[in-house]
Amino acid sequence: MTLFITYALTAGILVGLSRQLNGRLALSTSPLIASFFNHAIGFVFLTILGLILGNLLLPGASSTPWWAYLGGPVGVIFVASGSWLIARIGAVNTALLVIGGQMVSGVALDLARGAPLTLWASALGVVLILAGMALTQKRR
Amino acid sequence: MSSPDAPQPNPLHLLAAFGSGGLLTMMVFLNGEAGSHGGALFSSWLAHGTGTVAAIIFLAVLWRRRPATGETRAKAALWAYLGGVSGAATVMLTSTTVNTPLALAGTLALGLAGQVVFSLAADQWGFFGLPKRRLGLRDAGAVALIVVGSLLIILFGVGASA
Repeated sequence: MTLFITYALTAGILVGLSRQLNGRLALSTSPLIASFFNHAIGFVFLTILGLILGNLLLPGASSTPWWAYLGGPVGVIFVASGSWLIARIGAVNTALLVIGGQMVSGVALDLARGAPLTLWASALGVVLILAGMALTQKRR
Repeated sequence: MSSPDAPQPNPLHLLAAFGSGGLLTMMVFLNGEAGSHGGALFSSWLAHGTGTVAAIIFLAVLWRRRPATGETRAKAALWAYLGGVSGAATVMLTSTTVNTPLALAGTLALGLAGQVVFSLAADQWGFFGLPKRRLGLRDAGAVALIVVGSLLIILFGVGASA
């Protein structure tokens, strides 16, 4: 169990590391070029890994609906925007506001499609996140 | 008044970051659909592949519109190109942990902790050549509010109703 906790924590650290590296690359190139390299090099890495593990294309893969292919293009915009923002508002603001936006939009998506949701916790969470955002803007 | 705090961030930049969290929700949803058909490795591989093609198209469109500038910038070190490896490794770790007792909620909560610790250190010391930002009490308060709010949603809000 300790191993899996370490895995999950490491995953969070790697998200930050990735944004920091892409942000640095964007300073020397452009956010969109940094996003291109992020995807192209990740693709090469995953292709090699898939060939070694031999489980890249499972039988169900071909039944993936066409619209699920759009995760990549959305990711390009996401990585480009993060690479642009991190040099302007810093790593903490970028990480926290992206997480806040992910949480609030996730709650909205679940509400819209009628997924199970504990309302008090979700609503209080959204209020705290918005309060945190307002606090980053409060004049001293 | 002189203050060690970081300069006031532009509100539009903060809103853009918040909005990009919505893109992340959409991305997780779309990649999750691909993963439910072909598994986590296929899903991440597919997203990186279609993303590469999309980035080339976006760059080609912008290239034609943008007048050439004679500006040259300092070249980036080779390590700056490894963000994609770090991102791909993230997917391997999280697709493992969601299938352990940690489940999705534990994976998200611990990932949040990892991101907060890394980003605090990154701003403090200016990791990998990005600007340093000294954080003040106000920033600490904002971090605390957003973390507690997110943990409430992850652990007790979404999908946690028994």
